[in-house]
This record gives sequence, C-alpha cells and structure tokens, in this order.
Amino acid sequence: MARGYNQKIEQQQAPAFFVRGPSPFARLVFFFSLSLALIATDSRLQYLNSVRQTLMGLLHPLQAVANAPTQLYIVTNEYLVTHNHLLNENQQLKQQALKQNIALQRLNMLALENDHLRQLFQANQALAESSVLGEIMHVGRDPFTKKVIVNRGEAHHIVVGEAVVDAKGVVGQVTRSYPLSSEVTLITDKSLSIPIQFERNGLRAIAFGNGRDNTLDLPYLPSNVDIRRGDKLVTSGIDGIYPAGLAVATVSQIEITADSPFARITCIPTGGVENHKQVLLVSIPHVSFPEIIDVTHPLVGDVPVSKLQMAPSIKPVQPILKTPQARLVSKPHAAE
Amino acid sequence: MQQSKLKTIYFSLLTAFICLLLPWSGFALTIRPDFLLLVIIFWLIRAPNLCNIGTAWFAGLLMDLAVGGIFGQYALAYTVTAFFAVMYQRRLVLFSGTQQLVYIVLLLLISQITLLILKIFSGMQMIGWTYFLPSVTGVLLWRVAVFFGLTVGGRTRGT
Repeated sequence: MARGYNQKIEQQQAPAFFVRGPSPFARLVFFFSLSLALIATDSRLQYLNSVRQTLMGLLHPLQAVANAPTQLYIVTNEYLVTHNHLLNENQQLKQQALKQNIALQRLNMLALENDHLRQLFQANQALAESSVLGEIMHVGRDPFTKKVIVNRGEAHHIVVGEAVVDAKGVVGQVTRSYPLSSEVTLITDKSLSIPIQFERNGLRAIAFGNGRDNTLDLPYLPSNVDIRRGDKLVTSGIDGIYPAGLAVATVSQIEITADSPFARITCIPTGGVENHKQVLLVSIPHVSFPEIIDVTHPLVGDVPVSKLQMAPSIKPVQPILKTPQARLVSKPHAAE
Repeated sequence: MQQSKLKTIYFSLLTAFICLLLPWSGFALTIRPDFLLLVIIFWLIRAPNLCNIGTAWFAGLLMDLAVGGIFGQYALAYTVTAFFAVMYQRRLVLFSGTQQLVYIVLLLLISQITLLILKIFSGMQMIGWTYFLPSVTGVLLWRVAVFFGLTVGGRTRGT
C-alpha cells in the first residue's frame, strides 16, 4: 500500500517538475491581462458581437444535448396525461374560446371603426405587426440578470429589439440574437425600461425593472401624481418598439415620503414573466419615417433622433420640431 | 498513456459543461454548483502537467459564452482560481481530508468573489448571501466524489 502510494506521487510529480513550461505566476499574469483586455473590448467596443454569434451557433448542438432529458420528460409526461384530465381541459378551453370570441367580435367592430376614423382624419393606418411563436429553452445562467433564451433566432428573422409578449402581457425584449436562439431580457431586469401609459388617465411614464424581485419601478413621478393602487399600465407605443396597448403591469404599492419629491411606485407585471413556456416575439413595427429636416444631429444623448419620431399614428406631415425633445435637439444647433 | 488521460480530461470537462447547460431554473439555479470549475480544480491538482491555467482560461471563456455576459469575466475568475489551485498543489498531499475540503471551498469562493467584483464594477446589484450557495453545494459535491473514490492523491483515504 505504502509503495503504491509512493509510486503514485512519483508518477504524478516527475513530469510536473520538468515539463512545466512558464511558471504559474507568468501564466496568471498573461491570462489575467488577456481576460481584462477581453472585458474591455467587449464592454466598450462592438467587435465581439459577430464572434459571439458564430460561437453560439457552434454551441447550439451541445445545448440541444443538454435539453434532451427535460424534453423527453415533458413529452412522456404529456403522453401519460389521463383521459379525464384532457376532457376537463378541453371543456375549459371551449368556454374560454367562447368568451374570447365574443370579445373578438367587438374588437373587430372597433378595429373597423378605428380604421374608418383614421381615414376620415387622414392619419396613418394602425400598424400591423407580424409575430413569431417561440418557446423558452432555458432561463439565463447569470444570477445577476433576468434573462431567458428562446428557441427562435436569426434563422427565423428575429432581430434585436423585438418585443416579447405572452397571453397576458409584455414579458421582455430581445437583446441578443443568435443563429438559432435569442436572448430575451425580462422587463423585471434592472437594465430594461419600457415606456408605459396609465390605462385610467393616459399618463405616460417609463417603467424600470427592479432587478431584485419580480417587480417594476416607476421612478421620477412627482409625489402628487394621480396614481392609485390597482391602476393598469399598458405600453404607450411611442418608442416604436412595443405595439401600443399591451398590458405591462399593475400598480401594487405607492409610497410617498416627505423627504423625497418623488413617489416610490412598485408594480407587478401582468405577463407571466417567469411562468409560461410559450412566448410571442413581435416584430418591430415598420414606420415610414417622415422626411427629417435636419440630420446633422443624429444623436440626442443616446437616443437616435429617428426614435423620437416613431410615434406611429402621428401624421408625418408636420415635422416633430414641436415636441420638447426635438427642441432640445435644435438648441445646441442654434447656439452654434 | 498521456493521450488517453488527456482524452479523459477533455471528456470530463465537456460533461461538466453539459451539466451546466442543463435547463436549471428557480432554486436549483441558485444552488447549482460550478461543475466546470470543480472538474478543472480536480485536474489541476491531479494532473498539473496536462491541465494548467490556460485550460482554465479557455473553460472560463466557454462559460462566458454560455452565460451570455461580458466576455472575459468567467475567464478571469477561473484564471485566478486556477493560479491558487496550482500554487498549493504540491502542499495538498500533506492535507487531511477536511483540510482539503476547506481548501476547495476557499478556491470556489475566490472564483465567486472575483466574479462578484467584476459584476459590481459593471453595474450589477448584489443579490444577497444566496449568491455564495454554489460554493457550499460545490464542496458537498466534492465530498460525494471523494466518497465514491475520486481522489486527487494525498491522504484523503485516511492512510
């Protein structure tokens, strides 16, 4: 036993003494600086996006292998559902379909009426977005962010920026697209914000993900703002990304403190942000831009000027110089 | 002999990586041990001539790709961890079983703390003490592996 043990040590260490190459410290310094260079390149410059996409394409088969056991489980589970359960579900779905049919009839009428009114006012036609049904493959692996990976990618014409919705409301936005999958950042992620409108009074605001728990925050609203608990938030559509009128969240808590001029408003998302498996990826509405008068200032802060003009239903005859943002653009120009 | 061992190493790394790619979610995701790092530490200690800091760096890059964050974060964390693993590799032979476990948990924590620092620098928020649970489950997994006879040498079997 003791001899075998010694042999083991010798076998292990004899090559280690001679074939070691550079010292561990040299290797550490080399790879440490290489990683730092990578971090700097990736976070500040855009060079690595195409590299990432290609590599993700190569990684896809591995992902498929990893997903196989769960897929198998789901399939067998579906296969083994009892007859009774299916009957019940069928009945429920029929009832639901009936209710929704009635609502849909009214919706059709309203849509017709809306089209007609728009024609009367010679406004742009409401936008019709196309959408792709996707399935969530897995939750993002980074514990710091709230992301999911969906099984639709560039091969299915998914582009970065598309809105992702489920049956109940907005879930998130596509932030990266790979060849066969895409990364969706959920609206509860800290880095995602979504322009919203209150259903009750039409007040517009921007909702930010909280990041820690599954809620949204509405910062920068004054403490005397007309918001009540239970108010519904819908997408306003002025960003040109999310179609207008989709449910986003419900106000759950309003805190007004004397020391802050702003109210602290917390909302709970209506969409099953972490529940459902199927989601709909809605393509970005294609807006025909009005002729831009002055393109010498393509950027306002980080927002491209074209985004300011994306209010989809505004008639593009009058240039947007009337809006306060546009005035902001023209100011520095005038100063010159 | 070396060739076959090299194959074993790459096969085990690949298996660990697929384990990480499994669709973890919810609480399972919170406590998911870092399989890849565990396997790397294992080979760094057991076969330092075949698996070195460079291997750890490449594995970290693979993790960066899978996680989808900024490139280089996991690579950096794995590099630092691998350095400490290699530094004390020869002394490990003298460690008892418990000491080895402490050493492993420290290595796992080094990786997590490096990552945490990088994440906080890039504007993320700390998610609470549950962030460190993977280190605990990782070392438990290591103990289970030792129980089933996977040792890195040294006195783990109580000789």
